[in-house]
Amino acid sequence: MHSKTLGWALLAPTLILLFFFGVVPFIYVLFVSFHQWNPFAVNPDMIFNWAENYRRVVFDAQFLASLGVTIAFVFFAVVSELIIGYALAQAFMRDFPGKAFFRTIHTLPLIMAPIIVGSIWKLMTTPSIGILPNILDDWFGYNLNIGQSALQAFTVTVIMDIWHWTPLVTLSLIAALVSLPPDPFEQAQIDGANKRQIFWHITLPMIRPAIIATVFIRLMDALRTVDEVLMLTGGGPGSATRYVGVHIFKEVFPRTNYGYGSAISVVVLYLTIVACWLLYVSLIAPRNTRKG
Amino acid sequence: MNIALKIGASALALSFAAGMAAAQDDSFWKEAGAQFEGVTLRGVTEATPPSNYVKDVLAPQFEELTGIRVDIETTSWDQMYDKAIKDMEAGTGIYDMVYIEQDIVYAYLARDFLTDITGTLTEKPELKSPAFEESMLTSFAEFFRDEDDHLYGMPVEAFIKPYLYRTDLFSDPEIMAAFKEQTGRDLAPAKTHEEYTEIADFFTQWGKDHDLDLWGTTAQAHTGHAASWYEYFESVAPTFGVYNWGIDPENNYAATVENGGQMNSPEAKEALKWWLHLRDIAPPESVQSTWTEVATTFAAGRAAQGLVYGENAAWIASDENQSRVVGNVGVALPPLSEGVLEDAESGEGYLGYYDGGAFGVPVTSKNKEAALLFLQYIAQDELQADWALAGSRITNNATYDDPKVQALNEELGGYFDMLRDQGDLFGGAPAYPFHAQVREATAPIFYSILTGDIGPDEGLDQMAAKAEEELTSLGYRQ
Repeated sequence: MHSKTLGWALLAPTLILLFFFGVVPFIYVLFVSFHQWNPFAVNPDMIFNWAENYRRVVFDAQFLASLGVTIAFVFFAVVSELIIGYALAQAFMRDFPGKAFFRTIHTLPLIMAPIIVGSIWKLMTTPSIGILPNILDDWFGYNLNIGQSALQAFTVTVIMDIWHWTPLVTLSLIAALVSLPPDPFEQAQIDGANKRQIFWHITLPMIRPAIIATVFIRLMDALRTVDEVLMLTGGGPGSATRYVGVHIFKEVFPRTNYGYGSAISVVVLYLTIVACWLLYVSLIAPRNTRKG
Repeated sequence: MNIALKIGASALALSFAAGMAAAQDDSFWKEAGAQFEGVTLRGVTEATPPSNYVKDVLAPQFEELTGIRVDIETTSWDQMYDKAIKDMEAGTGIYDMVYIEQDIVYAYLARDFLTDITGTLTEKPELKSPAFEESMLTSFAEFFRDEDDHLYGMPVEAFIKPYLYRTDLFSDPEIMAAFKEQTGRDLAPAKTHEEYTEIADFFTQWGKDHDLDLWGTTAQAHTGHAASWYEYFESVAPTFGVYNWGIDPENNYAATVENGGQMNSPEAKEALKWWLHLRDIAPPESVQSTWTEVATTFAAGRAAQGLVYGENAAWIASDENQSRVVGNVGVALPPLSEGVLEDAESGEGYLGYYDGGAFGVPVTSKNKEAALLFLQYIAQDELQADWALAGSRITNNATYDDPKVQALNEELGGYFDMLRDQGDLFGGAPAYPFHAQVREATAPIFYSILTGDIGPDEGLDQMAAKAEEELTSLGYRQ
């Protein structure tokens, strides 16, 4: 009993902070989402409008388009980060000259603020002054102009996200790989398993929890990407990179459409939870059921 | 000898009087500031040359005199608004001064966000500097007054968006001869849109033919930033006779032609097509250019002419560390359609954008009195000349006559003369409290026009309808 009380006492500061900085703002957003509220309207007050904002979200072509490009962005970014992150983790498991140096360099993007990352990539991709358009033009005769081409803009935002966040995946997977016991690998080698078989039947199942945890983190992060993209493309050209985070930003801040913007935020939160649940159900739950 | 003695005595008397005046001025600031010793004022503004001057020069000077610390946060245009509006909306009182761009002041006044400067200084005369009178300010200050003629913002920058051109290129004999041969007329700054296009086409081709990084015009045509929307609605459309974004506030805020607006009028469509052609022959970075990049493009010598915000004119024309076209910048009025100049002269229209901003004191500020002292401090005539050199901005009438400013005016090709003599022909943003709301509602369609996903005619039809829908939703349009 004593230890239970002590446990709650120790948890209390965290729970209080979480309540005030997590739960209360969420409840407020939920509350606002049921109102029409634009402080620059003729009537600047909050007007309760039932679920009108949610009804609007479902039929909002701009939001649906935004959701579509976001799903594509998340898919390409997270899958690429996982593959490249795993390859780098495997590389860093081996010894080679300058390993510590390269591992440090590789981690540097992680410590940069997203707005700085966006600025750097903007400088690198601006025609005339950017290094990338110049190199691509000089070496391959390829015209890179992300202010003009929707596909190029989308691709560059994906690459920027990969550049920024792959080190996180690498570090997570290095931690998982380091913790693996050597016995199953030695036994598999004695039994004559090749590298591909070892990867599919031993390494991958053993690091699956780390992979899934990393995917959860990256999925949630990628779904709410704002700063980098806003700085790099502003959501353009047109709406090609107007991901839901950027869409919500433009709806809530410049347009001061607080009620409707809150409703979109709640819907996006719901979709994120659903996506994570689907991932959990398809990858973790069957395994636990089999164990049970 | 007698005359020399008189001159010497007069000079001595003058310098003594000036010294006394300075001492009196200093004593006011010291005495007025003493009651606020230890106070820290916090301001948020856009990172522009004039604002940076306030942060780096004027704020430390004021602190030294009064003991009131001034922290000015310079940030991007979007962030500046985001922070200021959130602070004033939530009533947190973080900021004691916010930058009010000319186009947002009507929204702030409608929400009673700002402190009445005139009223407060009248009620508390002990706060009023003997060196400050509202009549010192240029007519730009009129944009920051309410219906009772009370001032709500102390102007810190004011500029028009003129037509800049490269004097070295326009006076190059080889280029002049080639232009004459091709077009049959002399090369001179354009007065009409047709002439402007002809010059732009000529220089873009000239750049190609001579393997130069030179194009015929700038274009502020970012495909995802409001800068492009502004260039069209505030700088281009008015030169075709489409004013106030094509919205008629006297006619139930109509935007569509069928309801009496002009946003999708034939003139608006002609203006957009003209500008889209210029965008196509402008440097490739134009589709990613906001106002800042347009200035750097021109300063890099990559464009022969363009519409460039005047806040950048000084450094483009005079700062060799940043500009490759120093001494080669000419200034002219933008090219106009027939009748637009007459509209501007009669006050029915305007030629282009007269922009700028002021520092206002939010009603939520916890240090209003100290902030008002600071605003009066930066409005002093004797501080204006160096500020004008740093940021090509003039907000006091006396600044035009300062020898340093007149010298810069020569380098700028007469920009300050134009600001003084023809500034009235330019117009600020319309007095709409729904500025950002209509812009953001219609901007996605505008960006789709820029990417070619929608044609200009169809796009403007959609934008006009969307503007009316937004105005109805906000309650302005019945």
